[in-house]
Amino acid sequence: MEDQNKTSRTKLIISRLFAYIFVGFFCILCIFFFYLLVLNSTKTNFELQGKFSFIPGTNFITNFTNAINDDFVKIPVGMVNSFIVASISALLTTYFSALTAYATYVYDFKLKKLVTTFIIGVMMIPSQVSAAGFVQLAFKFGLTNKLWVLIIPSIAAPAVYFYMKQYLEATLPLEMIEAARIDGSSEFATFNRIVLPIMKPAVAVQMIFSFVGSWNNFFLPGLLLTEPELKTVPIMISQLRSADFAKFDLGKLYMFILLAILPVVVVYLLLSKFIIKGVTSGSVKG
Amino acid sequence: MKKAMKGVLAAATCLSIIGCGSKTTETKSGEEGKVFNIYAWNEEFKGFFEKYYKVPEGVEVKWTIVPSDNGAYQEALDAALTNQANAKDDEKVDMFLAEADYILKYTNADVTQDIKALGVTDFSNTYQYTVEAASDSNGTVKGVSFQCCPSALIYRRSIAKDVLGTDDPAQVQEALNSWEKFDAVAQQAKDKGYLMTPSYAETYRVFSNNVSSPWVDADKNLQMDPQITAWMDQAENYVKNEYTLTEGIWDAGKNEQMGKDGKAMCFFGPAWYFNFCMGPAHDEKTGTIGDWAICEGPQAHFWGGTWLLAPTGTDNPTMLADVMNTFINDEEVCKNLIVNEAQFTNNQKVNNEVAADANYKSDFLGGQNDVAIFAELAKNIKFQNVTIYDQYMNEGLQTNYVEFLKGTVSKEKALDNFYKYINEKIPGIKTPESK
Amino acid sequence: MKKGKQQPISYAKWGYIFIIPFFVVYIIFTLYPQILTFYNSFFENYKEGLTQVGPNFVGLDNYIQLLSPGSDGTIDIFKYFGNTMIMWIAGAIPQFVVALLLALIFTSSRLKLKGQGFAKAVIYMPNLIMASAFAMLFFSLFSTVGPINKMLIDSGILDKAIDFASIKITARGLVAVMNFIMWFGNTTIVLMAGIMGIDEALFESARIDGATSTHVFTDITLPLLRPILVYVMITSLIGGLQMFDVPQVLSKGVGMPDRSTFTVVMYLNNYLGGSKNYGMAGAISVILFVITGILSILVFKLMKKED
Repeated sequence: MEDQNKTSRTKLIISRLFAYIFVGFFCILCIFFFYLLVLNSTKTNFELQGKFSFIPGTNFITNFTNAINDDFVKIPVGMVNSFIVASISALLTTYFSALTAYATYVYDFKLKKLVTTFIIGVMMIPSQVSAAGFVQLAFKFGLTNKLWVLIIPSIAAPAVYFYMKQYLEATLPLEMIEAARIDGSSEFATFNRIVLPIMKPAVAVQMIFSFVGSWNNFFLPGLLLTEPELKTVPIMISQLRSADFAKFDLGKLYMFILLAILPVVVVYLLLSKFIIKGVTSGSVKG
Repeated sequence: MKKAMKGVLAAATCLSIIGCGSKTTETKSGEEGKVFNIYAWNEEFKGFFEKYYKVPEGVEVKWTIVPSDNGAYQEALDAALTNQANAKDDEKVDMFLAEADYILKYTNADVTQDIKALGVTDFSNTYQYTVEAASDSNGTVKGVSFQCCPSALIYRRSIAKDVLGTDDPAQVQEALNSWEKFDAVAQQAKDKGYLMTPSYAETYRVFSNNVSSPWVDADKNLQMDPQITAWMDQAENYVKNEYTLTEGIWDAGKNEQMGKDGKAMCFFGPAWYFNFCMGPAHDEKTGTIGDWAICEGPQAHFWGGTWLLAPTGTDNPTMLADVMNTFINDEEVCKNLIVNEAQFTNNQKVNNEVAADANYKSDFLGGQNDVAIFAELAKNIKFQNVTIYDQYMNEGLQTNYVEFLKGTVSKEKALDNFYKYINEKIPGIKTPESK
Repeated sequence: MKKGKQQPISYAKWGYIFIIPFFVVYIIFTLYPQILTFYNSFFENYKEGLTQVGPNFVGLDNYIQLLSPGSDGTIDIFKYFGNTMIMWIAGAIPQFVVALLLALIFTSSRLKLKGQGFAKAVIYMPNLIMASAFAMLFFSLFSTVGPINKMLIDSGILDKAIDFASIKITARGLVAVMNFIMWFGNTTIVLMAGIMGIDEALFESARIDGATSTHVFTDITLPLLRPILVYVMITSLIGGLQMFDVPQVLSKGVGMPDRSTFTVVMYLNNYLGGSKNYGMAGAISVILFVITGILSILVFKLMKKED
């Protein structure tokens, strides 16, 4: 018995060691690129035009003050706008995708099969093209410079729906719904009070992805938002990139990119904690 | 009153489309719109405008700045211009900015109007090419440029001394004033261990600015001008003989050549290029400040520049004309642009004053007065045989042709790929690859 | 009531009610443009400068043009489709394997690694940087004067800098590696959430029964994770077929060398970007849609068969 314990202990130590090395390698890989970004944000525009060097520059503070004090490209304004669009989109997209997925998983209705196939089918249409059509329409109906135009469409996100559907198939026992019905819970309440908590990890995951996707989205906002007070962070980055030569400053640009990542990191850290919490509370109920 | 004015404007719009633009000035200045809308893709002109233009009382200037990435600027601008007739007065575009690459798209269409009819009539001091660039195919002028971007041959003094025995701009110019001489010097430079140019595309603009026929003929056939094929031959020859590198004009591998250890003798570019884009040269320790000078080079050409265009249907025609006049003819403003903003203005008189000023010199160019060279150069620049497709043609040829220069594909294949690119980008152009 | 017979309560109407918001929004904001795309593919419809050409009905002309072989006998769109697939697979396979391993390590109740929270945050970070900005950063390392070339030359492996972007295998390789770095963290999180969704009691009872961790993995984790794996593969396939930013930045938009990193969406973008050629772009999207659909069905079938 003792021997067996010992061998399993050494086994555990070895696999732990392997796991540390494996995880460590990929962490270093990712940190490296983040480091590059920080490195570039310490350099001057002229230094960045030349060949790459690992020696940090001395321009960090200057770049920082330049980035936050730009008269035309105001990073706090961009962050607020981006945050409004990204957070509301993330909430809407996860909630309604989960609801739709739940509907097509739990209920039997005539069009169920068709609906499911349809949503998964349209997921495959290249997004660039519907986006181009969307822009045409937005111009036609005067929907430019309105943040909600970028937010509302996130209610219908086929890929998020697909994930929620798959997640439900993997995790939600139908008996639980039956049990809730017997307890007299209304259908809507069952979804909100029982199903959603079980789906917390899935919701958190898709919220992160949707938030990040929306935060970094340039294509649509770049075409639809032209008012300075409404611009989002990627538009501002792009604006810095198309600055004239006298004002163009790669150091400031990298600093801006770096600053733009920070809020996303915070959101990610908050939500990723939620992934774990969600599981524990979910499994308690399950 | 508002309604009546709309009627006048609508009539004016129609008339100017027919070609009888003189009516547009009918609206009296006192009755002009309260909002002056300007479209631009960056803040360069905004900065100058806010500093040097006195906005009439009661008028609010509204800037719509859309970055040029992904074609977003032109997309937003096109949408606004095509909707101009239906837009409310306060939302009508009153002025917009454009670059040489696509200016023809707007000047050749009804969306812009004759500025002479608006009261911008004095072009005696502007450079001819900037006026040509803002004119449509009938010669109607539809905008002005507030700057002028003649491009010079920028050479390393120390290398020129070693290769040519002199670094004096006049003598270097004498040695490099034709392509035959340029090619001969390239061999001499190589013999001494130098590169003639840092990029295969360094001389592209010099050739392409001087074509004698447009990229596309009347039947929409793609045609290669002798200037373009001359560049292709030169690039092939230079790469084969190791006179140059296969780096693009913005690549780090080219920029490296600007530093202390750089071997390249000749660069081409305007003032903004050597002041802001030659980063490695400006480094205090590893750079080459003062080791540069400029001369005219084999052919006159320009690079960059921004034009102010007059949209049809503006409700502020008087102010529009005033802005344009200010930035080309107000000597005080132009002087300020040179002195405070390091601009080479579009006013010959003001530029010539600085050119003659013995105290004016550039440290980067080893004490040379660059304005003097540019003032001469700018007179000889041409803006002709231009098409709305030029940007795709020039970019497409350079990026596809370099694959042949690198030895990745045959010359035929590189050109095939160029034709494919053109067929994708521009429908209806007949190339040897068209189906 | 008319039937006079007590039927079990039907919940079907709730199914319809719950999908209403999704469909209303979808139809207004997405479906209409998509139908427009399909419709446009039968028209000549583009801009020449500011002048709109068309729409003129041309039947299947756009498709015929896309699907007829060029002077060298190959059909371009299939070549670009092949490029896309190669670069996707080269990045996606390591991405699945690494992500699955990482997800297992992070969710393992046995290993209990220290600093997990940190590691989980770090591996997702590349996904936070805008693709175009990240690609710029990444490729500057591999430029002819970049640190990788410098290292290889300094250590004597090379005597002259390599232009990675103009050699077919390294250019495609760089695109694949870049996609891998950007997306493996994302996949790890998806798989982690999937594994965490599995009822802990199942693992518990398996352990009590004395199952080895390999067995737990093949008999419990993998089968229960299948729906999530299907999701990962399908979305990766769809995303892969729409690959654009990374090769666009690397190859300056022309897919060098010799159009071997040129993807279907870069092709589409060439038509759409300059001349707003909705006719040809529409036809390309329809073809892309059909191909994606066929491949997705294959993946679905494949994953079902393993049962």
